[in-house]
Amino acid sequence: MKLKISIIVALSLLFISCKKEASISVTTSDYCAAVDTVSAIMVHDIFSPPVASRIYVYPNIAAYEILAQNSAKYQSLQGQLKGLDSIPKLDPKSGVNQKLAALIAHMEVSKQLIFSEDALAKYRDSLYQKWGSENQKEFDVSKEYALKVVERIKKWMGKDNYKQTRTFSKYSVYANQLGRWQPTPPAYMDAVEPHWGEIRTLVADSASQFKPKAPYAFSTDKNSPFYKEAKETYDVGNMISKKLIAMENAKSDVVPEESVIATFWDCNPYATITQGHMMFAKKKNSPDAHWMNITKIACKKTNADFETAVFVYTKTSIGVFESIISCWNEKFRTNVVRPETYINQNIDPTWRPQLQTPPFPEYTSGHSVISNCSSVILTVIFGDNFAYVDDSEIPFGIPKRSFKSFKQAAAEASISRLYGGIHYRAAIDNGAEQGKNIGNYINNKLKMLKK
Amino acid sequence: MNNFFKILLLSLVFASCAKKQDQLFVKLPSEESGVTFKNDLDPSKNISILDYLYYYNGGGVALGDINNDGLVDIYFSSNQGKNKLYLNKGNNKYEDITQKAGVAGESDWKTGTIMADVNGDGYLDIYVCAVVGINGFEGHNELFINNKDNTFTESAAEYGLDLDNYSTSAAFFDFDGDGDLDMYLLNQAVHSEASFGNANIRNNRSFESGDKLFRNDNGKFVDISQQAGIFGGPNGYGLGIAISDFNLDGYPDIYICNDFHEDDYYYLNNGNGTFTESLKNHFGHTSRFSMGVDAADINHDGFPDLMTLDMLPENEKVLKSSLGDDNVQMLKLRTEKLGYHYQYTRNMLQINQAGNHFTETALLSGVAATDWSWSALFADYDQDGEQDIFVSNGIPKRPNDLDYVKYFSNEQIKSKINTTKLLDKQALKKMPKGNVTNYVFQGAADLQFKNRSSDWIENDSIISNGTGYADLDNDGDLDVVTNNLNSAASIYINLTNAKSNYLKLKLQFEGKNTFGIGTKVISYVKGVKQYKELQTTRGFQSSSEPIIHFGYGKTAIVDSLVVIWPDKTYQTLKQVKTNQMLIIKANANRKPFNYTRLHPTVLPVFKQVTNLGIDFIHQENHYVDFTAQKLIPYQRSDRGAATAVGDLNGDGKDDIFFGAASGRASEIYLQTTNGFAKKAYPTLEKDSIFEDASAVIGDFNQDKNNDLYVASGNGENAQNLQDRLYLGNQLTNAVLPVLRQNASVVKAFDYDGDGDLDLFIGNNSKFNRFGSAPDCYLLNNNKGKFSVVQNKTFEGIGMVTDAIFTDFNNDGKTDLIVVGEWMKPTFFANTKGLFKDVTESLLPEKCNGLWQSIIAFDVDQDGDQDYLIGNWGMNSKFKASQEFPMKMYYDDFDKNETFETIVAIEKGGNYFTTMGLDELTEEFSGMLKKKFNSYKSFAGKTLEEVFDPKMLESAKLYEVHNLKSGYLRNDKGKFTFVPFANKMQVAPITCFVKANFDADAKEEVFAAGNYFGVSPYHSRFDGFSGALIKSDKTIFLGNQVGIDLTQKAVRHLDIVNFKGKKYLLISINNKKIEIYELPTAKN
Repeated sequence: MKLKISIIVALSLLFISCKKEASISVTTSDYCAAVDTVSAIMVHDIFSPPVASRIYVYPNIAAYEILAQNSAKYQSLQGQLKGLDSIPKLDPKSGVNQKLAALIAHMEVSKQLIFSEDALAKYRDSLYQKWGSENQKEFDVSKEYALKVVERIKKWMGKDNYKQTRTFSKYSVYANQLGRWQPTPPAYMDAVEPHWGEIRTLVADSASQFKPKAPYAFSTDKNSPFYKEAKETYDVGNMISKKLIAMENAKSDVVPEESVIATFWDCNPYATITQGHMMFAKKKNSPDAHWMNITKIACKKTNADFETAVFVYTKTSIGVFESIISCWNEKFRTNVVRPETYINQNIDPTWRPQLQTPPFPEYTSGHSVISNCSSVILTVIFGDNFAYVDDSEIPFGIPKRSFKSFKQAAAEASISRLYGGIHYRAAIDNGAEQGKNIGNYINNKLKMLKK
Repeated sequence: MNNFFKILLLSLVFASCAKKQDQLFVKLPSEESGVTFKNDLDPSKNISILDYLYYYNGGGVALGDINNDGLVDIYFSSNQGKNKLYLNKGNNKYEDITQKAGVAGESDWKTGTIMADVNGDGYLDIYVCAVVGINGFEGHNELFINNKDNTFTESAAEYGLDLDNYSTSAAFFDFDGDGDLDMYLLNQAVHSEASFGNANIRNNRSFESGDKLFRNDNGKFVDISQQAGIFGGPNGYGLGIAISDFNLDGYPDIYICNDFHEDDYYYLNNGNGTFTESLKNHFGHTSRFSMGVDAADINHDGFPDLMTLDMLPENEKVLKSSLGDDNVQMLKLRTEKLGYHYQYTRNMLQINQAGNHFTETALLSGVAATDWSWSALFADYDQDGEQDIFVSNGIPKRPNDLDYVKYFSNEQIKSKINTTKLLDKQALKKMPKGNVTNYVFQGAADLQFKNRSSDWIENDSIISNGTGYADLDNDGDLDVVTNNLNSAASIYINLTNAKSNYLKLKLQFEGKNTFGIGTKVISYVKGVKQYKELQTTRGFQSSSEPIIHFGYGKTAIVDSLVVIWPDKTYQTLKQVKTNQMLIIKANANRKPFNYTRLHPTVLPVFKQVTNLGIDFIHQENHYVDFTAQKLIPYQRSDRGAATAVGDLNGDGKDDIFFGAASGRASEIYLQTTNGFAKKAYPTLEKDSIFEDASAVIGDFNQDKNNDLYVASGNGENAQNLQDRLYLGNQLTNAVLPVLRQNASVVKAFDYDGDGDLDLFIGNNSKFNRFGSAPDCYLLNNNKGKFSVVQNKTFEGIGMVTDAIFTDFNNDGKTDLIVVGEWMKPTFFANTKGLFKDVTESLLPEKCNGLWQSIIAFDVDQDGDQDYLIGNWGMNSKFKASQEFPMKMYYDDFDKNETFETIVAIEKGGNYFTTMGLDELTEEFSGMLKKKFNSYKSFAGKTLEEVFDPKMLESAKLYEVHNLKSGYLRNDKGKFTFVPFANKMQVAPITCFVKANFDADAKEEVFAAGNYFGVSPYHSRFDGFSGALIKSDKTIFLGNQVGIDLTQKAVRHLDIVNFKGKKYLLISINNKKIEIYELPTAKN
């Protein structure tokens, strides 16, 4: 009797192990979901746009490098991105599921970069459990390889000067130096990342390679270009306020287009609202996250396969990363005062912008640089006149919006900063130019497709 | 068995007895008293903290005998419900007569309430304030005139006091001395401004929010705010008012507490119907979110002191999860650019210095942190002769909880982002509670208060707002009544009873001011003065019983009572028996009172003179150390100006060298026949990049011409730290060894007896490495060439600030004492030109301090040399003792090639970082952001829980055991540290100078200090006016000897000889120098 049972058990075990296990399926949606999970954690943890760009780019590169192993279609970025080399080679016979390894690497690098590790670990572990139950062996070898790549990427990103810039000097406020940026209402936060221009670039030679035209010289003279620019921001703000008041008076719910645009592209990760002793935060995704989401929309719309999705995410996030280094370098080189400060001191002490002024110098507009760079990159991949519906802001209570092309979206994102009252026109125009230059440079310089 | 129970029973009895012994107040149960009033907020009215920023400010209490039956009655204002009047029936029984009396109140949102005899008929009337015109609140301020039959008639309109604006409270007092009561109406702004705006907004006038002063013109109250100089701006967040004759000129002055960034107002009464707002001239800094306030003389000098409340939590968990102070740069912007004064988030205790200025001592006195506090009431609750403080406390929801602000609020509002009601009740529920028990402090000698909250009162979680005191049960001691939010009002019955003696005075004055509001009573017992002023509006939104109450301990007879009436007349009562209630009627033949009698005589020591042609203004540059070294406890770069006095042009007269901050050239003023004239030197101009830390004039190359040695320091740049030597009349550059540390002091002396001047250079830190202890240098002079003497004894001494060449062991050889921060005064004995550290044998006690300065002086007049040493003082958030030293760890903790400091102080036996999570993560983001991803997870964690103990162990540890300034007493060659009294501990003492200041036969020492290079967390050490130290027993503060150095960070004191007279030269960081002529000795 006992023997019989043992035999049956042994046989059934044999059958189970003999059964050919299916390869673990990993889809574009899985990758997008992982990026979205990181985005949501970033909203909670509160990352500024510069730090957010870093959290997006390295996990994507890790994933991309795994896919580029032994690929006929995709070219490794080793030797193309500063300091990136020695990615552990993948033995084609190892049984590694490259898509699976790419996704694992994405999550593991992301986990290193965000603060709320528990939230990401929970998400990761549920997937690990699922994959382990689907095909333990494939999962194990894929994970083993992924972690090797992760280790290499961590070592590489550890040398991008991020750690050092944490300890660099804070921005110095000189109360009496006219024209120099100073903290803005209501929270009067310290300047964000004054040394981001010192972060290692990936593609560009240096942070100052795409230095834009100089901003107008600071002046309080009413005939100066600087004053006129500020006056334009002031006038546009007042025009929108008037329209909003008219809307309220008419009990209409048709919000003026300029206001809709400003709100849609606000992308302020941390706005604070003060009511008496009470303070609370209004959080949204960053401009970086907004463009990552547009990337997702484009991938989904074109039913992009897993490899294509990782390729697009990687290239776009490199663009965003490079844009912010270039932009921040300019911001803290010029230290231009924000319209809110200038207008309050020189035109109207009670004026408030439609959007909350973000805590860093004005020139150039980060959103303009990021959006135009991203649109140039996405246009090359998906073509011009790529119409899509942007639902990125729905989680933040803002309705979706349709666009005819990435370029149209980028142009709108740029001008939204004027409507929002947080930039002058030159920072928008010259920032857009700066972004396009960076995008074109990346398009020309980076060889990601073999053909 | 039987025995066991007996013992148990006995111990229980003892236990309860022991508890009762310390308990000073017992709450009267409402079932017993019949006082069931509750200030219930009505949820059905659909108003919350989101609609009205002062939704949780609660109601008031007015205490007084409305029917003149000798029993104090109680009136409560209710925000949304009905006000209540309780008639005192004796024996702690009260009857609710609201309905019959007609005083329930009609306004929708009622706030402060005051009892006063507004119409001067001898009966107390009741004034009730209201907020009208927002959130649909209707109504107006109401004035219930007493019909003398336990009923009242609302008559506000008749008197011109039916204001329908945003009132917090009011005070009735006779500001113009015309014999009737005028009124100050305290109003509040209700809209929070996103932007600070310029301080001059207060010059505008807003009907709704602006405060108002009303003059009583024969029963009609006329708004004279504008002509009287009262601000009525839209940014006056008025929450507290105190009336007192602060400068003792016979006219009542006004202190107004404003919430948020608007300054408090200090209105000095000009005596001609107008006031002059004078805050900045008299106060170094104030509370930021100023709420309740009270005035009383706490230190027996006969001048009313002041306490303002704020919302700094005491509890470490609450403290570290609540929004803290501004950062240093924003405070600079607000004060230097926008015109506001220095404000910090904590209670302030302002000690009145004879009406000249106030010295703030809340941290020294132990009353700085009482959490979300509303009312402060000074009174001698235990009747020991010292003023105690009762603080009412609590808020239902803490809106400044950092986790709520950063992490939870967003989840709640996400879906409602475009609606006007951003938060709903669900969201409010997530906000942490702030139910904190009331605090009570026992007054003690030497500016100290002892927290007796855990034994004098029962702790509870009730939220108390308006508070008043009165002798409700006529047993002579003062009872306390609080108006509670959503709970029954508390009546605290005082159990002092016969344990300690008292005197209770009721005043009967002439004319319309029947209760004698504004009367001062000064009591003298064996030379000890107690000063009281009858003002009933006190604390917060409330008025107390119109009596004067003194505590006397065991004293049976009061030597004399001087009663100064509001009309500047007085009468004196002598040999008054204690333990009685006295009714004092204004005497018909009372005499005019001369107020100068109350002002102390100022000793004519210091006489400020015009600057003798010296225009030097020290200008600090923009550099803020905290931008580069984010975790350091205080700055280093602001310790200029360096000065040196000596003959620089060979004419035998004193010239003066002034060092400058980096970016400006040093200046030299040469003495001429008429004064001093500036002379430019190309070599100095060329070296303007250096920041001069210390300088000395001497003939270093022995060519009979004096030379100048300047030590560079205050390092802002590694390249600019080389010391310089300038030779001869032209100050030509000379070669020096490489000396690139942050120097703090240079002293010249021929230590080796070879006839030339050698130098000691004390260094404080390496560039950008606060906490590194660099080597100090002994420079040997060899025919004008200096070389560093190799001596291990000077390596890594510590963060040196000052040094003195002195023969401390009486062996005829000049030795050296070095003092500094985070170190012990260090004694180096000179044996044949070789220095040896002999500290442990001469000064064995643990006495590391944040030492700033040292001077030799026989302070105890016993014939040997003692040393006065200046320390940080006790008026800061730093805390140190031998048992629990303050600690500073120094290392590159996160291995990123930058060195950090972590400072920790002890609380309840554990150590906590002085910095909060945001500050720590600015430097340690990698290490701490993941470990603590909420404030709650960080708050209350000990140092070892925050940082890996192993990491701390391998760091360099500095300790401080003592923060008090004092002196090293010489006992036959051994030294013991003796601290000065607390009046000398209000700020760092940074410099001393010895001279014969008062033209007697002996030399005295003058000490000065103050320091501002700390983060807003510490506030600002600005209250030290200087001190003339004649001996350990005789020390005069500046204002007693004709000098006021408050609000000035004094760096150097020098004596300059000019035309046969001696002058004191005072160098101040970032300010113009000051010069005082010294009295000439009568020989």
